[in-house]
Amino acid sequence: MSDLRVTIGGFFVLVGAIVGVTGLVANYHARLEPANVNLDCGLSMLLFGAIMLWLAWRKSR
Amino acid sequence: MRLAPVDYLILSLYFVFVLCIGWMVKRKVATSADFLTSGRSVPVWITSLAFIAANLGAQEVIGMCASGAKYGIMTAHFYWIGAVPAMLFVGVFMMPFYYGSRARSVPEYLKLRFDEKTRALNAVTFAVMTVFSSGISMYALGLLFQLVLHWSFTASVLLSAAIVLVYTFLGGLTSAIYNEVLQFFLIVLGFAPLAIFVVMKTGGWSGMASRLPAVMTHTWTYTAKASENPMGVEVFGLIAGLGFVLSFGYWCTDFLVVQRAMAAESMSAARRTPLIAAFPKMLMPFIVIVPGVAALALSHMALGYSIPLKPDGGPDYDQTLTTLMAQFYPSGMLGLGLTALMASFMSGMAGNVTAFNTVWTYDLYQGHIRKHAPDSHYLWVGRVTTIVGVALSVGTAYLASHFNNIMDFLQLVFGFVNAPLFATFLLGMFWKRATGHGAFSGLLAGTAAAAATHGLTIAENKGGWLGATLHTFPSSMAQNFWIAIFAWSTCFLVTLVVSLMSQPKAESELHNLVYGLTEIPHEDVPWYKRPTPVALIVVAALVLLNVLFW
Repeated sequence: MSDLRVTIGGFFVLVGAIVGVTGLVANYHARLEPANVNLDCGLSMLLFGAIMLWLAWRKSR
Repeated sequence: MRLAPVDYLILSLYFVFVLCIGWMVKRKVATSADFLTSGRSVPVWITSLAFIAANLGAQEVIGMCASGAKYGIMTAHFYWIGAVPAMLFVGVFMMPFYYGSRARSVPEYLKLRFDEKTRALNAVTFAVMTVFSSGISMYALGLLFQLVLHWSFTASVLLSAAIVLVYTFLGGLTSAIYNEVLQFFLIVLGFAPLAIFVVMKTGGWSGMASRLPAVMTHTWTYTAKASENPMGVEVFGLIAGLGFVLSFGYWCTDFLVVQRAMAAESMSAARRTPLIAAFPKMLMPFIVIVPGVAALALSHMALGYSIPLKPDGGPDYDQTLTTLMAQFYPSGMLGLGLTALMASFMSGMAGNVTAFNTVWTYDLYQGHIRKHAPDSHYLWVGRVTTIVGVALSVGTAYLASHFNNIMDFLQLVFGFVNAPLFATFLLGMFWKRATGHGAFSGLLAGTAAAAATHGLTIAENKGGWLGATLHTFPSSMAQNFWIAIFAWSTCFLVTLVVSLMSQPKAESELHNLVYGLTEIPHEDVPWYKRPTPVALIVVAALVLLNVLFW
């Protein structure tokens, strides 16, 4: 069902972008984690979402 | 824990998507079968992920992290000796009968295989249990959000219940299943980074292990004697009680999970559902248990982190997961982590509601109240039952908040009811001589045996209410495992004996219900789509994991 892949992909692209941009612009830090958690996790989710969208697109072609 | 606007934005975005899925699926629902059984049309990758997500409730996520901190990596036995072997069994051996019988629910299978009274017993206990367990997990979530975020108990309970209600009301089982897939990915992507960060902080796996007693990072090494490990269990109780009776009883007979496989689009897809689900399932310990283990190591590191305490001074392991998120996730990821927690709660609740729906509508309402109504009537009943089911769950959550002891008691009773079930199914599916009288009396006797075992033994000051104490267990976990073993054996023996004394069903009535009288269709599919090869790969991976963490 390619519809569901689009929905899930869309969700993670959006959330990944929001979290990633938060990592770029806002100065939020976790107490015990020095890395830029938001940027790293945001990009990972963005990538996951994009893969889902690509799978949906490949299926619908 | 304080949230920033971005955290609320992520949580709201999730709610929007969840409702959108409900809306999208709505137009596919025309009959009661669409609403209650997804019309047997869902692709296998979706049913597989839903199969584990429906079980992955908030209590599971929070509880497994808590057990990781309390018992160490031994908790993974719940997956590696418990869930996964049982999932293989249901896929390879039992699904042909569930799916092939065309039963719409697990209780309905019992009706076809045995008789009406066995179905009614199973349907009623199952319906009551689903309502209570979704209420109890709702209560746990409300309490946690109150504690951590200072949200009002009423607001978080009602909001989450309302959203689950809307999407299950709109799209029924399909909507619940589709959402479970989104929830599954959210849980993985929300919690996996936490596991990585915490373990890295303690110095990687070896660094973490060096800060802990060896028993916390081994699964089998310390199970020869119950006194050697914090769980207080030995290898026989573990394998027979947890691995065989409890796990097989849950994963092979609980309609909440089996319903997901029964919604699959073909027999081969239904059989592969639990098998494919076994792959992510066996990796879940790294996401839900390992953070708890690492939290314990972290608390020995003078970083200012410690396992939270209860008001009475004892460790409050249930807060391990949320305190870790507060330490390792900044606003942004923190919102996503909390959304994942919310998602796990919703998937568990929707699982309960959709299973309750089907059992109520088909097994109790159509079976006993109104037998021959047009299908549109049952669709209407299904929708109304969704509202009633959610309302009953909310009511139970409030009941739990006022009478905590009642909930402990109910969970105990549910354990008694569930433990013997697998014996009934095993005999029913693989021995054509088993009869309805046998199954019914076996179930009752098994439940009574469970209660008697609890009443005659003591563990951690629990049990022993029958006056005499025949045995004292080192932990209540060990007690639970042995209750299950006695309940199962009693049910098995009584079913066997009573069946032999009563009149069996004619063989012609048992086609597609019992092994030997069921033709398993040979589907012309490549090897990687056949159940046995997939199951063998799972077994190999499972052995590897057990050896690696021996």
